[in-house]
Amino acid sequence: MQPAQQTGTGPADMGRRPARRRWNATDLSLVAVFAALIAALSILPGIPVGPLGVPITLQTLGVLLAGIVLGPARGTAAVLLYLVVGLIGLPVFSGFSGGFGVLAGPTAGYLLAFPLAALVAGLLAVGVLRRGRRFRTALLFLACLAASLLTIHPLGIAGLMVNAGLPLREAILVDAVYLPGDVIKDVLAALLAVSVHRAFPRLLAGTRSTPA
Amino acid sequence: MRGYGATLGLYEPGKGFLYRLPTAVKAAASLGCAVAVIAWRSPSTTAVALVLTVGCLLVGARLSPARLLRMLLPAAPVLGILALYQSLAQGWLRAFVVVGGITACLLAARALTLTTTTQDLLDGVVRLVRPFRSIGADPERFALAVSIMLRSIPYLAGMVVDVRQAARARGLERDPRVVVTPLVLGAVAYAHRTGEALAARGLGDEDDEDDDGP
Repeated sequence: MQPAQQTGTGPADMGRRPARRRWNATDLSLVAVFAALIAALSILPGIPVGPLGVPITLQTLGVLLAGIVLGPARGTAAVLLYLVVGLIGLPVFSGFSGGFGVLAGPTAGYLLAFPLAALVAGLLAVGVLRRGRRFRTALLFLACLAASLLTIHPLGIAGLMVNAGLPLREAILVDAVYLPGDVIKDVLAALLAVSVHRAFPRLLAGTRSTPA
Repeated sequence: MRGYGATLGLYEPGKGFLYRLPTAVKAAASLGCAVAVIAWRSPSTTAVALVLTVGCLLVGARLSPARLLRMLLPAAPVLGILALYQSLAQGWLRAFVVVGGITACLLAARALTLTTTTQDLLDGVVRLVRPFRSIGADPERFALAVSIMLRSIPYLAGMVVDVRQAARARGLERDPRVVVTPLVLGAVAYAHRTGEALAARGLGDEDDEDDDGP
């Protein structure tokens, strides 16, 4: 039922030249719909969380989900599509903003880190999903956490230093404000990805070698 | 939120030379502004960039100064905090360089999106992809992906509104999992339906690939 499986050995090798490397229509629309999902999560007002109801925006959740649901190749492509559409000026970034202007803004580092985050999360997730079902949620959470700590936060801090002119110490302090929310989003992404992979077992073809 | 698709894009019809300039020129200028401000962090660069962008918007798009200020409103809190911090920590000149530079870039980007229709912008990007055909890029598939994406945003946003209402009715609106799970599952299902619809019409698949099922 799911043409996604048609790519056989895996859509993960889109960067290489073999003839089968191209995506079919379902891969293409998964990439496009996930780019739209990131946009929808970015522009919608944050969800109030916890007793204090501090709103968290779900942009990074969408980015990580693209990686761990679609895998490294399609996930990165979805995030890149989202970035390109935002950079040419459609209002898909948080706060209905868009355009090259964000490249000079204080959050540019975070935006540029997103494709890398999806790539890292996707690569780790493929490894996790191949291992079978034990501790899958926890391992996917760690994959998301690693991706966001390795890419989003360092590049975000660099962006704050370059664009907002903050010294390293201040930039780290500003960035640290986002850490608790990020951990929540990593947990959420892992839980969601497990649900999605359970509902659509062929989404990441080749990783379901051990159906239990 | 269901009406989002209709309002997608920030184009507003108007008169002035910015409207007649080719999209490529405006995009290059807007990008050039960001590069210049980041590369040469000096008060004079910032001042020139600010004067140029404000001048272009006032003259080239015939905006009123009040309208110009309103465009900066969404970014105002961040800019304000940044200005305050920089002037306290590093002096007002540095604050002007940083905040003025960001403001100029925001306005330059806005000048592009204000005076160019969404369709023109998308056509421009697709044209930009064309030279990369030799390394495997496919402008048509890229354009198809962009249009599916833009078409999906209102659908997904509408779904969020519905799901949130359902969650609120059950008193679960504080639980993000209840809100987001149906959204993501719905998005994947929607993508599969769209993919099947595309394949049925012979769109989005590689020409040299036959389309038999697994």
